[in-house]
Amino acid sequence: MEIETESRLVRLCIEAACESRESVEKWRKQRRTLNSMPSPLADALLRRLFLRRLLFPSLLEVFKRSVEVVDLKGENNVDAEWMAYLGAFRYLRSLNLADCHRINNSALWSLVGMTSLKEVDISRCAKVTDAGIRHLVSISTLQILRISETGVTADGIKLLSSLATLFVLDLGGLPVTDTALSSLQALTKLEYLDLWGSNISNKGATVLKKFPKLKFLGLAWTNVTILPNLSSLECLNLSNCTVNSVLQGNGNKAHLTKLICSGATFTNEAEAFLYFNTCFLSFLDVSNSSLNGFYFLHHLKAMEYLDLSSSMIGDDSIEAVASIGAILRNLNLGKTRVTSAGVAILVGHVPKLENLSLSHTPVDDLAMSYIGMMPSLKHVDLNNTIINGFIQQDGAEPNLISSLTALHSLKGLESLNLECANIKDEAVDPLSNFQELRLLSLKSPSLTDISLYHLSSLPKIRNLGIRDAVLTDSGLFSFRPPATLEMLDLRGCWLLTEDAILSFRKRHPLIELRHEHVVSTSDQTARRRLTPPRTFLRPPQVNQKQEKLIVSQYFIG
Amino acid sequence: MRKEDTVKLISAEGFEFVIHKEAAMVSQTIRNMLTSPGSFAETEHGEVTFPEISTTILEKICQYFYWSLQYANGKETEFPIEPELTLELMMAANYLHT
Repeated sequence: MEIETESRLVRLCIEAACESRESVEKWRKQRRTLNSMPSPLADALLRRLFLRRLLFPSLLEVFKRSVEVVDLKGENNVDAEWMAYLGAFRYLRSLNLADCHRINNSALWSLVGMTSLKEVDISRCAKVTDAGIRHLVSISTLQILRISETGVTADGIKLLSSLATLFVLDLGGLPVTDTALSSLQALTKLEYLDLWGSNISNKGATVLKKFPKLKFLGLAWTNVTILPNLSSLECLNLSNCTVNSVLQGNGNKAHLTKLICSGATFTNEAEAFLYFNTCFLSFLDVSNSSLNGFYFLHHLKAMEYLDLSSSMIGDDSIEAVASIGAILRNLNLGKTRVTSAGVAILVGHVPKLENLSLSHTPVDDLAMSYIGMMPSLKHVDLNNTIINGFIQQDGAEPNLISSLTALHSLKGLESLNLECANIKDEAVDPLSNFQELRLLSLKSPSLTDISLYHLSSLPKIRNLGIRDAVLTDSGLFSFRPPATLEMLDLRGCWLLTEDAILSFRKRHPLIELRHEHVVSTSDQTARRRLTPPRTFLRPPQVNQKQEKLIVSQYFIG
Repeated sequence: MRKEDTVKLISAEGFEFVIHKEAAMVSQTIRNMLTSPGSFAETEHGEVTFPEISTTILEKICQYFYWSLQYANGKETEFPIEPELTLELMMAANYLHT
């Protein structure tokens, strides 16, 4: 969680307070002020200390009467000593210890009996076992608990049934058995339950009907093939399952808004989407699935996000996508058989489409003119296609016409991936006129210094990739990067020498350069982490209600 | 400086700072006090008392108001904050929405 606050002076104060160890020493004795600090400020200060790596266990002590939210995700140093201090935080509401690998059962003992704690995340703390769960169940206020990929067994999971106020429970990657799930029936407030990778069978899945408020259900990588009707369900993840029937049964039909069946095998395609109300389905991921027929798409009128990548879809089924294109914003057709003729069918039917991926498809330059007629496009991915930037015009004298100029009509185009091996310098030329482009990726052995020169005139470019090209030292030396450039990816440009790379980095220390000769990228990122840019504290979104934040987290697949 | 263009900010210890209204308006809280309809004492007399803000901090706040105006006009200088003032200044800034 990133802390956000509206006030610039507050941000400046937090930065000044976390400037160095010395500055911390200047204020840490101001106990009365620290105790009376409003919790959003204290939370933000603590978070900034953590990100600046200035936080250590005994410093935690000064925050025990003010801080409500602590996020230490991924910090390897966090151990029982840290926890001893955190256990004394009187108003602690949310504690994120995900990926803190030193956390074990005895470290969790410090949390026993805490009275304000509502949210705990110990995902992937592999040392935590059933004994740790015994400590956690003493916190009767818990509402959100994430213990995925810990060492907890089915017996430990049964203990959770006493946490009657839980509404979010993530048990992903744990050996949840049918009986363990059955013992959780007491948790009638559950709205979110993730059971990916568990040992649940079809028989166990019938118990899910006992959770009357269940909105999100994750069953990816399980043996469940038949899912009973769960009328409250809104979001369902059946990735990598063998799907026989979904939500079949009596009573109200579920109003699913999001369905993820990536990598799923459908044994009965005709009935797969028959039993729930499809009017509300706005998010569908059937990438890599076994689906053969796509006629069912015709019914999904609320579709906004559609992922059909690595599926069997071809030009013959694109008409179904076009028929539900009215509010479609995201369409992924990567790694399919779809050709330029298929793209042509979409023209005029996808007025709101912002993201389009056609990577690894057989589309060619003819597709460019069609893509240019999709007015809302912001992000276009065409990597590993056979696009070369030119259309061969028939006639007495064969004439080459640039195909990329067709994209000029896309006024909002922000990112373009053209990592196609056939692109040459002459094709890149028209790209230099793209005013809004922030991200451009090219990857072709035919590109030279000329392309680098042309692209230096892109006014808003932030990330520029010219990979596998034959750039020379002198080309890089004379390159004047646009002021907005943050990252330059030159991997695979084999002619560039170490000296040229070094000299570029010296001249432009603020630009992250990627190349095989840049060995210390990890150092670079570490340094970045120590001194994040001013923008780390972004302007508000803070006033979004907490509830809202939680909900949006649920629906991340 | 004409009186109607200024505003008086009074610290916890009773110390008075007379600053331009335009500068004080950098604070959303003060802006609301001075511009809200109705008869706030603040609106009438152009005076605001802050019983929770010490003189040192209020002085720093006033400096910030003027720095902020300059910054908005494109003068990009640092605003220095002494580490020992950070906590109290932060709380005052939070209260003043500035």
